[in-house]
Amino acid sequence: MSQTFHIPGQPITAYVQRIEIKKLREGSNLILGFSIGGGIDQDPGQNPFSEDKTDKGIYVTRVTPGGPAEDAGLIMGDKIMQVNGWDMTMVTHDQARKKLTKKSEDVVRLLVTRKSLEDAVRKSM
Amino acid sequence: MEEKLRILEDLNMIYIRQIALSLKDSDIQKKIDHEIRMRDGACKLLAACSQRDQALEASKSLLTCNTRIMAYMSELQRMKEAQVMQRVARRSSDAGPMDDRHPCKAKVAISDLRIPLMWKDTEYFKNKGELHRCAVFCLLQLGGQSFDTDMVMVDRTLTDICFENTIVFEEVSPGFELRVELYSSSWEDGGSAGSTPRKLASKLSSSLGRSAGKRMRAAMEPGGNSPTSHGGGTTLLLPVPSVPGPKYHLLAHTTLTLTHVQDSFRTHDLSITANEECSFWLPLYGSVCCRLAAQPHCMTQQMMSGQLRVKLGGDPQGWTDIYGVLKGTKLFCYHKQDDKEASVDPAVTIGINKETRIRAAEKDPHSKAQSICISNQYGGEEVTHTLSTDSREDTQRWMEAFWQQFYDMSQWKQCCDDLMKIDLPSPRKPALISPKQGSLYHEMGKNLLDLLHVHIYYMGHTRLAIPCFLTADLRMFLTFSLFLSFPYSHSLLLFFHLCFFRSTSPCHFNFDWLYLATPCTHPLPPAPSAPAPVCEGLLLQDNAVSAEIRALLSSYYSDR
Repeated sequence: MSQTFHIPGQPITAYVQRIEIKKLREGSNLILGFSIGGGIDQDPGQNPFSEDKTDKGIYVTRVTPGGPAEDAGLIMGDKIMQVNGWDMTMVTHDQARKKLTKKSEDVVRLLVTRKSLEDAVRKSM
Repeated sequence: MEEKLRILEDLNMIYIRQIALSLKDSDIQKKIDHEIRMRDGACKLLAACSQRDQALEASKSLLTCNTRIMAYMSELQRMKEAQVMQRVARRSSDAGPMDDRHPCKAKVAISDLRIPLMWKDTEYFKNKGELHRCAVFCLLQLGGQSFDTDMVMVDRTLTDICFENTIVFEEVSPGFELRVELYSSSWEDGGSAGSTPRKLASKLSSSLGRSAGKRMRAAMEPGGNSPTSHGGGTTLLLPVPSVPGPKYHLLAHTTLTLTHVQDSFRTHDLSITANEECSFWLPLYGSVCCRLAAQPHCMTQQMMSGQLRVKLGGDPQGWTDIYGVLKGTKLFCYHKQDDKEASVDPAVTIGINKETRIRAAEKDPHSKAQSICISNQYGGEEVTHTLSTDSREDTQRWMEAFWQQFYDMSQWKQCCDDLMKIDLPSPRKPALISPKQGSLYHEMGKNLLDLLHVHIYYMGHTRLAIPCFLTADLRMFLTFSLFLSFPYSHSLLLFFHLCFFRSTSPCHFNFDWLYLATPCTHPLPPAPSAPAPVCEGLLLQDNAVSAEIRALLSSYYSDR
């Protein structure tokens, strides 16, 4: 039931995977090891990973090999639904970045979804 | 009236101490004494504070202390009752052998507390008008333990109240009730006595909007704040000394139990106990979002270990000696005991979970002891492992350990599916010095951080009690290191300020009731146990350190 065609205002349901990323401390920086794209203030037509080209959610555009995100199991193309309890389906790009890069948090707990997850669940049912 | 209240208070304290003594529980007694001292300190600090944010911090500490004292007192009452019940039970020979299997305890942690606000759109987008601010904090109580979060200032520019603290409760039983209370105090509320002259107050209230003015007027009315507001229903047992200063009021509360524990973020309902007319009102959405995790000891600790023999696949008659360790949902079987220390992978890992069935097998004619059969369902197959020990007692002990493990898992339910992680925040670097606190703070902070130690000591007749919220044990002779992060420096300024206040010249200092109040959650380097040689006095020493402090303070006062 993922985003093939979503009506704004209607609830979204998705199969999600929990990913826990332990930030890497390098000097005074906390490194996550991935980049994001998307947001309600961005152009959704440019997103190569989304099925629904009107989806303004936050997607993972790049995962640094060997970084904390890769270790945790994050894959390029994942859509981030929630970060530490904060919703990511209706946020601006900057809001999403801020929630991920809080200096006071060492661990970020993400809920991510991807097409392959849904297929896997459907097959096992 | 105040005399009477003070006498009542003293009587209550004596009563509490008597109960503690009679129970011969020095632990609780020490804790109560500590809290009472902290409470006195907070009261005095509140009276001496001139800065609003320090007063709010002190008021918060006062509320927390009161809550803790109440919790200890109720615990004492319960212990007393239990003692009496035990005596009664012993007398009646009715008590048969009861199955007193107790579930294991756990570590419960609550973190990432977030309370969404629901401002009216007119409020949210307003650009002018006074910014109605409130100071809020959360008080979390579980069993006899109470913790408070840091204080957060909330105004209409915030959409959520976020508390960054992680609070960990130790030794919690499965039937726990974690009470979360949100306290709030209006920024315009109170302040030290006589801080807002009447004329100014009426002018302010008339120039503000109607509802804001109503709130201000209510706040500034003498006796408008009930004495019960310092920590719930503490009136009768602990009459609160009427301390001027900001008071916190309960805004909302909720209770969380084992059913709310999960390894992810969940939203819970809040019961709101105030209405829009109150000065401390905040438009809450009605829910609180947080992460409540529990780590039962059966998942984190080794519950049982010992030598075992297991029948490994292939040879039906052969037994292999292994060292078994029961922890969490698995029984690890190592070849040797040392393998566990050396982190070598176990030879066999047998799952022990809710689906596992364990039974004692029939007596093997060749050996004296009984075997234990452990069956698990893997996919569609049933896999059985057979264990054996050297003696019947060992078998008995292992069976007992397995039963205890099953019991714990049935009590802790979802917490035993997988180990929930509890992250303790890493000690943060000292907060950056914020320029808006004024140049003196900056100066003090920078220079004091270069000093090594400041000695405060008991000076003859001048009573120098230092309820220090930072150290665990309270001593009259206190050494604390000045490698402090910046938030503490402003409280140090208070202490210097107080002593200056009572001196005529910069070189003579009388110490009278010095108080240091800082947020309780920041970790501090532990104070060294050996007292340093007693010397003259804080600022009367004849060394570079004292000279520097004196110079600093005199420059501060000459600037004023």
